[in-house]
Amino acid sequence: MAGILVIAEAAGTGVTRESLETASLAMRLAAAMQQPVCGALLGAGDLANAAAQFQCGFSALLLVESPQLATYVAQQYVAAVQSLIAKVQPAVVLFPHTAKSRDWAPRLAAKIGSGLVLDCVNVTVEQEGVTASKPMYGGGVLAKLVVHGDPALVSVRAGIFECAQLSSGGAVERMELPQLAAHPGIQHLESISIEGAGGQRLKDAKTIISGGRGIGEKDNWHFIVEAAAALGAAVGCSRPVADAGWVSSSSQVGLSGALVAPDIYIAVGISGAIQHLAGISSAKTVIAINNDPEADIFKRADYGVVDDFKEVLPAFVERIKQLRS
Amino acid sequence: MNIVVTIKQVEDPATPPSHMVLGASGKSVQSVSGVPRVMNGYDANAVEEALRLKEKHGGKVTVVSLGDSSARNTLKRAIAMGADSCVLLSDPQWELLDSFGTATVLAAAIRKIGNVDLVLCGRQASDSDAGQVLYWLAEMREFPVASPIVKIEESSADALVVHSLLEEEYQRLSVKLPALLGISSEINEPRQPSPKGTVTATRTMVPTWNAAALAVGPLTCKVDMTKLEIQIRTGKAELIEGADGAARGRALADKLHQLELL
Ligand SMILES: Cc1cc2nc3c(=O)[nH]c(=O)nc-3n(C[C@H](O)[C@H](O)[C@H](O)COP(=O)(O)OP(=O)(O)OC[C@H]3O[C@@H](n4cnc5c(N)ncnc54)[C@H](O)[C@@H]3O)c2cc1C
Ligand SMILES: Nc1ncnc2c1ncn2[C@@H]1O[C@H](COP(=O)(O)O)[C@@H](O)[C@H]1O
Repeated sequence: MAGILVIAEAAGTGVTRESLETASLAMRLAAAMQQPVCGALLGAGDLANAAAQFQCGFSALLLVESPQLATYVAQQYVAAVQSLIAKVQPAVVLFPHTAKSRDWAPRLAAKIGSGLVLDCVNVTVEQEGVTASKPMYGGGVLAKLVVHGDPALVSVRAGIFECAQLSSGGAVERMELPQLAAHPGIQHLESISIEGAGGQRLKDAKTIISGGRGIGEKDNWHFIVEAAAALGAAVGCSRPVADAGWVSSSSQVGLSGALVAPDIYIAVGISGAIQHLAGISSAKTVIAINNDPEADIFKRADYGVVDDFKEVLPAFVERIKQLRS
Repeated sequence: MNIVVTIKQVEDPATPPSHMVLGASGKSVQSVSGVPRVMNGYDANAVEEALRLKEKHGGKVTVVSLGDSSARNTLKRAIAMGADSCVLLSDPQWELLDSFGTATVLAAAIRKIGNVDLVLCGRQASDSDAGQVLYWLAEMREFPVASPIVKIEESSADALVVHSLLEEEYQRLSVKLPALLGISSEINEPRQPSPKGTVTATRTMVPTWNAAALAVGPLTCKVDMTKLEIQIRTGKAELIEGADGAARGRALADKLHQLELL
């Protein structure tokens, strides 16, 4: 087994930013290993446009295109990736760390007995072998892990690498999606799209305003929503807010939520727990509003205001509106 | 319903990196003295959910933990919450297992417990941040698995309807038992131990199963840790001054405007 297989996720008519970031890590790793990179794209619908975006100088690009991939069914993804591995015979498989891959990759690893490290911030080749750098303990610790297996499986955290450059490569080839016998144990009944998530994709937003437990109660949440509307920002939240059901979990930023990479991230009533900060490591400028000057968020933030958000936020938003008009 | 919950004892996730040190091997991390270890948060949600299912359907909740002898404390906490029995899985050769190794031991324990209808795990452990053990375990036991579970909508003796979270949707899934679920924090608020439970826990003898008891041979890691590094954050925000909160809010806006950020 040799070379790298990099698997992209299609989104709309293109590929996700995380996919292009993963491709750039793949190209870097390939240079170190002196081996080729093969690309692959999974998705429902016509992948021609996505394939044009996912031309990063690969030796070949494999497309697995099937309406059956429209609904996420874990076994279907496992089977698709398994057939890609059988065809390409790679030494390493890289893919973006997403809600889907977090589910299908460990199933695949267990099925084929490969080592897997999820949510890595780097992959290198060391004397001991393929080595993944992975944040643990919420991000307080960085581990170096040698990944064994044919192939070694690694998912890559969003927002760490630049997107790969467009560059022509080898042939584009279509592959059949393997047919599955329905899994006897699990039946997909329904997909319920999460209310409010339809607007801006948190992961692609340039500006995000997030509220935390410091907002106090659900009845205060309008402060965040109104500020977001005025700023043209997407709404995020910390875990206690999602757990309490003030907003849906799809808005949660952090280790067990979305990893975001906005130009501006405004944290309101958020203490700055390490698991929350893990989600904003790629945010360019962080602003914090918190009434506790000792809050850890001020160690991550570039600019901060110490006071009650109810005083600060409306005045801040009003002034921004004035300055923009 | 015969339910097994896998619970891991972890360093308190609220411990800041500045209060953590590397263990002797350089391959583990511990809090500086005095901070007690705790039950992994998602595992506490899993214990709570198991107790609710038991209250509804009857049956038995068994908690298992793989760890050193101190993990007894976490098992006893689950007993104090209301679990019926517990087992510690402990052997010196299991000190530095990866997800595959951990799952191998847990799978052997579940086999030995026997007649299990449902295994509840946490969606991930707060030290490894891995989210893998549950899937390996499910594959080894040939159980259907779904994770992260934010709701159990319906439950009967032979099937469950659950909500699993994807990025921008929930999937409603029907899961046939026996099965395994990875539990997320949205699902419930774990109960505190009752006074009666605490007394029961104090009296509980925790049985220990080692490699010989489980007939588990030597385990080769699929992922080997070579190095750990503690990451300490030292930055400091520029604090915006002003007469009162509103003035500081306006000054913040002016600052960002001046920097052409907003
Ligand atoms: C395995 C694991 C995964 C996790 N994943 C995530 C994750 O993905 N995302 C996440 O966010 N958390 C996550 N957590 C939880 C995390 O550890 C923290 O508990 C959480 O981030 C705290 O949320 P918070 O900052 O909103 O609340 P708190 O820590 O309670 O902070 C509230 C803040 O609001 C301030 N405040 C109070 N009143 C006001 C006011 N009137 N005006 C201004 N400020 C005020 C307070 O000073 C305080 O700093 C995870 C934890 C674990 C163990
Ligand atoms: N040593 C352990 N003992 C018991 N359960 C464990 C152990 N390690 C992991 N688990 C279970 O597997 C889940 C996922 O762990 P991980 O894959 O390490 O993130 C945890 O939430 C636990 O339920």
